Amino acid sequence: MKHRKLVFILALIALLLPTLLVAAQDQTEVRISWWGSQNRHDRTIAAIHLYEELNPDIDIVYEFQGWGDHWTKLSTQAAGGELPDIMQHDYARIEEWVANGLLMPLDGYIESGIIDTTHIADSSLAGGMVDGQMYGINLGNNSEVFTLDTDAFAAAGIELPALDWTWTQFEAIANQIQAALGIHGIGVLTSDQLWKSQYMGCCDQWAYAADGMSLGYEDDQPLIDYYNMLLSLQESGGMQSYEDSVARGDQGVEAQLIVSQEAAMAYHWSNQIVAVWNAAGADRSFVMYPIPRPEGGQSQNYIKPSMFFSVTSQAENPDEAAAFIDWFVNSVEANEILEAERGVPVSSVVRESLLPNLGPAQAEMFNYLGLIEMDNSPIRPADPAAHADVVSNIFVPEFVEPVMYGMITPEEAATYLREEANRILAAQ
Amino acid sequence: MAAVDFSTRKQVTRPPTPWYRHPLARSILYHGLVATAALIMLYPILWLVGSSFKPPDEIWTNQTAILPIEPYPQNYPNGWAGFGGISFATFYRNSLFYATLGTILSVSASAVVAYGFARVRFRGRRLWFAIMLLTLMLPTQVQIIPQYIVFKQLGWLNTFYPLLLPRIGGSAFFIFMIIQFIRSIPVDLDEAAMIDGASKVGIFLRVILPQLTPAIITAAIFSFYWTWDEFLVPLIYLNSPELYLVSLALRTFSDPSGQTDWGAIFAMSALSLLPVFVIFITFQRYLVEGISTTGLKG
Amino acid sequence: MAAATLTKAKRRKRSSFGQDNLVGYLFIGPWLAAFFLFTLIPILVSLALSFTDYNVLSNSGDFIGLDNFQRMFFEDRRYARSVNATLKYVVFAVPLRLVFALGVAMLLNTWRRGVGVYRAAFYAPSIVGGSIAVAVMWREIFGNDGLVNFTLNLLGIEGPNWLGRPETAIWTLIILAAWQFGSPMLIFLAGLKNIPKHLYESAEIDGANAFQRFLRITLPMLTPIIFFNLIMQLISGFMVFTQAFIVTQGKPLDTTLFYALYVYRRAFELNEMGYASAMAWVMLMVIALLTALVFRSSSYWVHYESDEGPA
Repeated sequence: MKHRKLVFILALIALLLPTLLVAAQDQTEVRISWWGSQNRHDRTIAAIHLYEELNPDIDIVYEFQGWGDHWTKLSTQAAGGELPDIMQHDYARIEEWVANGLLMPLDGYIESGIIDTTHIADSSLAGGMVDGQMYGINLGNNSEVFTLDTDAFAAAGIELPALDWTWTQFEAIANQIQAALGIHGIGVLTSDQLWKSQYMGCCDQWAYAADGMSLGYEDDQPLIDYYNMLLSLQESGGMQSYEDSVARGDQGVEAQLIVSQEAAMAYHWSNQIVAVWNAAGADRSFVMYPIPRPEGGQSQNYIKPSMFFSVTSQAENPDEAAAFIDWFVNSVEANEILEAERGVPVSSVVRESLLPNLGPAQAEMFNYLGLIEMDNSPIRPADPAAHADVVSNIFVPEFVEPVMYGMITPEEAATYLREEANRILAAQ
Repeated sequence: MAAVDFSTRKQVTRPPTPWYRHPLARSILYHGLVATAALIMLYPILWLVGSSFKPPDEIWTNQTAILPIEPYPQNYPNGWAGFGGISFATFYRNSLFYATLGTILSVSASAVVAYGFARVRFRGRRLWFAIMLLTLMLPTQVQIIPQYIVFKQLGWLNTFYPLLLPRIGGSAFFIFMIIQFIRSIPVDLDEAAMIDGASKVGIFLRVILPQLTPAIITAAIFSFYWTWDEFLVPLIYLNSPELYLVSLALRTFSDPSGQTDWGAIFAMSALSLLPVFVIFITFQRYLVEGISTTGLKG
Repeated sequence: MAAATLTKAKRRKRSSFGQDNLVGYLFIGPWLAAFFLFTLIPILVSLALSFTDYNVLSNSGDFIGLDNFQRMFFEDRRYARSVNATLKYVVFAVPLRLVFALGVAMLLNTWRRGVGVYRAAFYAPSIVGGSIAVAVMWREIFGNDGLVNFTLNLLGIEGPNWLGRPETAIWTLIILAAWQFGSPMLIFLAGLKNIPKHLYESAEIDGANAFQRFLRITLPMLTPIIFFNLIMQLISGFMVFTQAFIVTQGKPLDTTLFYALYVYRRAFELNEMGYASAMAWVMLMVIALLTALVFRSSSYWVHYESDEGPA
């Protein structure tokens, strides 16, 4: 009896033994790693298979994971000298990786034409530049957006605003929606992204100084005014309360209030409209608006790379890696598979080829980016290396949260933010 | 109510016993109480399973309900499809392999080591035991990078070795647990066996081990679940998607800034409870029956 | 007490257990091998790193003496909050879990029909683990119109926004922990099974009622297992990570920023592995001290059938 059980267990193990993967061919291996969700994994893998078909001498070895796990895994690999050839990178982190010598400048490949940028606008490329050198090829253009639920606006009897609407108009609309429909005007607007671009509207400044060694704005008043507006909106219900947003947690784009018709507007990244619309249902209708601007001010929007492909300094086959990136960005075939899932493609050729087959959400996204490109603020430098430190240790826990919970005034918080952020930035 | 009637009827023939003393009343009371508590315990799981049948536009709009308005079993094939042609069949195969082998390694090694600590006196025993407990108190998070470099030197990245081989020493948790169980077994039996000429190994195999069934079953249930659920270490060491585990795959579904198929996540999360649950149901039977034969009879 | 006389008899015979270094090391050999091969180096490295400002991305760090410790005790506001959250969790969740686990184990330690099903039901919450679906589920239950507030509403009470309020958020995690008492419960069940039946039989002959039997037999015979569960729950209570990692992410106002979560954040989100290691070692020392105290106390209340044992 006992023996039979043992035999059974051993047989089970043998059966389950994952087949060993042996790939001993004359292929050049290019390792690549990205983050994303099921949709992105499927599309990216399909594109990779196509590339391998077209280039039989190349074997693309891929790894993928969720957003948080991506950084845990890759920083461990970095410490172990095991980084892949290509890694997907993020605007908020790239400078830190460059500062630590983990990424390879791609300027040489661009000059030699291995990475062809002839159809890519400079504004789309600039986001990947650190200290004048190119460290990441933009995979999709993105910009912040305020999405408006036109049905809710109609139901509330509110006319859609002009595209250059102001914060004052926005505040009035949010309150009108709350009064007319009993739902929120919008979800919380406390993202660090809005803080970073806040000073573009009024003062042509950026949250960080050009050298990244201190804050880039001199006057705390606009920030204080903005948070006073949020507090008053939170009070009136024009905006979801911060408390409520914490209780709901960060459950992704699909959980935005606009999806469940608990708010008539939403603030998010332009490429997320696809997910929002998908989750809300095809029978809904949305339009995309730029961020409201201060009275008499200018646009707060800018074109942000949604994500990059970077070649790491530990890459074993950087040349082949660069060639793959070039194909990924420029090939119409590849992008027909990828379907602008990472944002609006940077190559104008690719963009045009995709236009005829876009769904309503994607069409709205393409239009919107076209609009932003015509009226956006100048490109901003990538975030300083200490950006994550400033946001996760100061901005959120010492500024946003205590202010929104009414524990300290925006004035006090802004002063503290300035002192502490400057201390961290100076110490980098 | 029925219970009260029952007890009053009995009063005719017997000296009065309070109704709550009656076996049937007690049984009803017991089942009523325990079943209600069990339902409360189960509610969240029922919700999870119910939500796994909600269509995408219902998950966030009809969140509170357990049952979907329009059942949508499609979530299951959508989730099962996995990523780019690598389906959950692969992830399940890997997870079953890892959890089964990992459990066998950890539990059997733990029993051997525990016996050494509990029943053999040797120099340095207290010191090693204390060190073993200390290893439980340092978060894995700060050991990961040095450990990664060790396994890199050994050439074991992208294999199951870094996950399985450390288990040859058992797990401190189970070792300590089994020690506690061994220590509640009287030494008389050891000594009787020793007089019969049994060696330490013989005592372990013939006297101690049979009495450890409940402890070992318990350890096996935990070990399987903990191994099944583990993600940080597998995330670091397993690179090829062909080697991914169910726990990793579940975390790979979602991207807070992108499009996420929550229905598929719910479906696969619910499904991933199944093997663990089956293991529990199968083994917990031994937890009851195993005893009647091995229990000490004076 | 029958058990006490048994122990005395054994003490006499203790000499028959001679010291046997070879056999001892053979038995613990597997653990020693794994320890030296896989565990010792990472542990020592992390200890060394705690005196440096090692950054994961730069893969380098300078020796900075006790600066990390100075920073966490005197400069880092969030550190104090994480200590606060963790202590609160340990003080409430550990006893709650143990009491639930023991109570339910007692309740389920019978031969009644359907006990297997109940056991499964009570264990089930403990296997839902760390998937993202659990986070969504927990937020749903404690949400504004979730199950908890719905129930309170029926009783005429208006529940707060549990996860959104700084006063209540941590309680949802404590309840989550209390709800997942399956593992100590199973260990208790296994322990209850190991109590020799004849002890109960003789007590019954002596006329002891159920409560007396519990106090005189069950409780003392179970002390090794209670001791084990107490130690392990204490350790895992201090190291609590997953619940906050997936459900609250430390919010609001850092009231659920558990120590291990903060260590993880510093280590992997900000790459400050030196500082994170220092934090981890402080925690190790605190847990070790507490564990040692519990071990010290054990000679007063833990009853073993054999005096043999490492501690």
